[in-house]
Amino acid sequence: MSTSTSFNRLTPYVFLAPAVIIMALALLYPLGYMMYGSFREWDPSQAMGESTFVGLKNYITLWNDPNFRESTLVTLKFAVSVVTVEMFIGVGLALMLDRNLRGMSLLRTLFILPMMIAPVVVGLIWRYMYHPTLGIFNRGLKGVGLESVDWLGQHALLSVIIADIWQWTPFIFILALAALQSLPRSALEASRIDGATGWQQIIHIKLPLMMPVLIVTCLLRLIDAFKVLEVILVMTEGGPGLSTEILALRISRTATEFRELGVAAAMSNYLLMLLLFITVLMLIYNRIMEHRAAKANRMIEEAH
Amino acid sequence: MAVEEKRQHPGFYAILVMLIIMAVGPILMMFINSFKLDVDIISGTTGLLFMPTIQNYETALCDILPYELDHLDFCALKFGGAFINSLIIALVSTLLTLVIGCMAAYALVRFRFMGRDTASATTLMVRMVPPAVLLVPVFGLWNNEFCIDKASWLGSLIRDNFGGRGDVCLAGTHSGIILIYVAMNLPFVIWILQSFIVQVPRQLEEAARMDGAGPFQVFFKVVLPLIKPGLAAAAIFTFRIAWNEYLLASALSDRDTKTVPILIVNNMSEFNVEWGVIMATGMLLAIPPIIFTLFASRQIITGMTAGAVKG
Amino acid sequence: MFNISKTICGVTAATALLVGQALAGPYDEYQGTTLVVNFPAHPHYDAVRKILPEFTKETGIEVEVDQLPYLKMRERQTLELGQDEGDYDLIAYVVFSKADYVFADQLENLARYFMNPKLSDPSYDADDLIDGYVYNIGFAGGSKGYLEGKTGSLFGIPYGSETSILGYRKDIFEKHGLEVPQTYDEMLDIACKIPELEPGMGGLSSRAASGHHASHAFLLHLAPLGGRVFDDSWNPIVNNEQGVQAANALKTIVDCGPEGAASFGFGEALGSFLAGDTAMFLDTTVVAGQIDDPSKSKVVGKVGWALHPEGTRRGSQTGGFGIGIPKNAEHKEAAFLLMQWLTSKKGDKLVALAGGNPSRFSTHEDADVNAKFPHMATFGEALKYADPDWRPIIPVWGKINADLGTTLSKVLTEDLDVQEALDGVAERTKAVMEEAGYYTWSE
Repeated sequence: MSTSTSFNRLTPYVFLAPAVIIMALALLYPLGYMMYGSFREWDPSQAMGESTFVGLKNYITLWNDPNFRESTLVTLKFAVSVVTVEMFIGVGLALMLDRNLRGMSLLRTLFILPMMIAPVVVGLIWRYMYHPTLGIFNRGLKGVGLESVDWLGQHALLSVIIADIWQWTPFIFILALAALQSLPRSALEASRIDGATGWQQIIHIKLPLMMPVLIVTCLLRLIDAFKVLEVILVMTEGGPGLSTEILALRISRTATEFRELGVAAAMSNYLLMLLLFITVLMLIYNRIMEHRAAKANRMIEEAH
Repeated sequence: MAVEEKRQHPGFYAILVMLIIMAVGPILMMFINSFKLDVDIISGTTGLLFMPTIQNYETALCDILPYELDHLDFCALKFGGAFINSLIIALVSTLLTLVIGCMAAYALVRFRFMGRDTASATTLMVRMVPPAVLLVPVFGLWNNEFCIDKASWLGSLIRDNFGGRGDVCLAGTHSGIILIYVAMNLPFVIWILQSFIVQVPRQLEEAARMDGAGPFQVFFKVVLPLIKPGLAAAAIFTFRIAWNEYLLASALSDRDTKTVPILIVNNMSEFNVEWGVIMATGMLLAIPPIIFTLFASRQIITGMTAGAVKG
Repeated sequence: MFNISKTICGVTAATALLVGQALAGPYDEYQGTTLVVNFPAHPHYDAVRKILPEFTKETGIEVEVDQLPYLKMRERQTLELGQDEGDYDLIAYVVFSKADYVFADQLENLARYFMNPKLSDPSYDADDLIDGYVYNIGFAGGSKGYLEGKTGSLFGIPYGSETSILGYRKDIFEKHGLEVPQTYDEMLDIACKIPELEPGMGGLSSRAASGHHASHAFLLHLAPLGGRVFDDSWNPIVNNEQGVQAANALKTIVDCGPEGAASFGFGEALGSFLAGDTAMFLDTTVVAGQIDDPSKSKVVGKVGWALHPEGTRRGSQTGGFGIGIPKNAEHKEAAFLLMQWLTSKKGDKLVALAGGNPSRFSTHEDADVNAKFPHMATFGEALKYADPDWRPIIPVWGKINADLGTTLSKVLTEDLDVQEALDGVAERTKAVMEEAGYYTWSE
């Protein structure tokens, strides 16, 4: 009996050990290493030990660097517009198509495709479609006698945003649909008996009840929007100018092209702080909304 | 809106069809173009009037084809090798992530280690870290710190048996790339599997234990078979990330361990944008995820919604 | 492919054994060695790959090629050269990597090899190599650190020498009775006339995309218009009158260029000329092969070549690659033999015939080469005007170049004022140079 209990006491540690070791070694340690490196002047041909300590210099340089600021601004513009548009279209489609349509499961299956294929491939497909002469958009415009558009030149950020919307709206659509379908039927039926119209139902019942899920969805999407890199790399390489150079891309360019690992590390830290701030903010907001949704739910129940 | 109506307005079907075309159209276009010669792509004869050819695929796979190609002077792409690298890296890292993640998730649920909240928070935190942020430290560590001196017995053993030069470092090896993929994917897998393990009835495990099974036997014989759908979802997600990832792989691979995404980005370089071949390589990279999607869309949707909808 | 070269190698090895040790050639000692070389994805090096089997056949030394896009190549080399023992035996590098590699003591000084009678081929004729390129690509430590000078020495050999040349559509020029432009004014004038004369056609296709493309295009005009990035004491003068003139030239070219010109990288710029969408093309000589390739080009036989137009002086670019031996290479001697073979008269001619860019005067005048590529004589003349100082080759250039490129791109797409933009570049460049210690002696 005693051996078995001691074995039992050890078992969870044994089960957990590999995961903990790997994550400590390949996630936590590197993150710590990055923090440490961000205070150093460090180029790729040096080991960390050979680099020199420069204090907050990298952070200060970045803070005053107009290019870094512009990159940050581009990142925010990209993330915010992408997520806003995707939320509207995704949730809108879900509300509209939440009914027993034939072909719905087919749509859901095919809708996942853009998310599943490699970002690199998405980038190359869109780069081809935006091609000034070969691309389908300009050919289409010419076909109907319109001026062709310089997609990846004059409107690079917009073009990149459109590609991202194509790829990720389905994510929001599917989550919103799942949320809709898990709503309590009783609440919906009750409101219908009360004579609520479709719009009233959506605004007063469906959306508030979906809100916690939507916020999490929005948060997940927002976080992912800060991670986008390959699609933009393949489509524009950050250009023209800095117009599509999001932070992730700038970090990788700083590290590989400008060969300033210390600065890249400091930039990574700025990005992490920004993400942490957004996450915490959204989580707090979510708590509040969950609270309200619970209240609303209770009120509906009480009313009947 | 008339929810109770059984017959839906045809407009909805029109929207449905349009959405499907928008989602699939671009991919279909890549598929078609991958069978065109560059001349056909550039000349602008749109549509389906062209002689389909597999020449682009032959060019891409020239290094593993058993026969010589007439249209090539030398095999530049070596896509076949990269394809094999991608397969090894994606499969091994998926397998490792699943086994390790499963064990950890089981421990967390059954032995009441931390609450699910802690695990969720960790998952979210890790999910928050963009791969670009890992680039600098991983590059530095894998190349300079995670190394074995080539003079040590293990180092010389590896150098004698596998060749190569210099100290034995994680960078440039399959294992190096696999390690970072496993680490990146673990939190998500643990999180997803927890929600499935919670649903496994405890009585089943206790019954097995009565029959004298140890904790490992219980885990492998009783728990694992019951959470297959969760495993499938987790497997697809880890495979997808490992298969598609570019940035870290490009920083960590050397000439023998390049994966397919690296090759595609490299071939979008400034000289000779050979659209046909690029589309063919893109298509080859997209095939495994497309197959998964068509055959396991339910699991994928489960995986996607599990986190957000169930909380 | 691989198998074939292996068999060939086996056969040569066998023959060598039969012939016996009496005639010990320079290559015998290295037979069966496999060299790992790092080359860029570039038409010249594609041509090199075609002739490598010849080398293996002749010497019994095998060559494994790792070909990468050249920015990637640079990244890879930074990593490999920094290690105690590297994978690469021979590397190709772009001109401005020279400064970094030599400064970091990562390239072999070639003196040791050319001094070695067992390795050095007496018939090599180094004087036949085009001067400007030897100094630009191979030489380090001379005047300004990167030009010809008494304190310099040789670390690499130019291989794949490019300069800028003007390609024009003979048919279009004839149709409208246009003269081939000799000066910048004429060129800009014609560039903007073309869209009027031939609706839908752009004047001159140039690269202009953000980053090194825009910067490259700008520098291309800066030298002939009489400008420089730095004066003799390293003060940035990129924002002087000539600089503004060069930026305006680029802007004019892009404005009168084909659709979407502002986002063109090199590939798109060339693509638009190949597709017949532009009447002129001013960039590297490396494109000639593709323009005559009917599977890629719609303008085969319609293109004439002329020297880079003159501003206040003739000054075409010096570009392309050099090859050198890393300090941490495993087979340095064999790598030198390959390097010598490739850049020898024979190798240079072979690669020229395979579509590469020769680096020797004799190859440009060679009858066989000219018979196959009639433009080669013009190219040879252009090389004489190549300006080795058209851009500075200093370790901090990468950073300045990136800034210049993004700023110019803003001028082209966001209508940023030219003077203001270049003033900004000059100011930031000054700070970079200050930090790198270029003003230590000017106090």
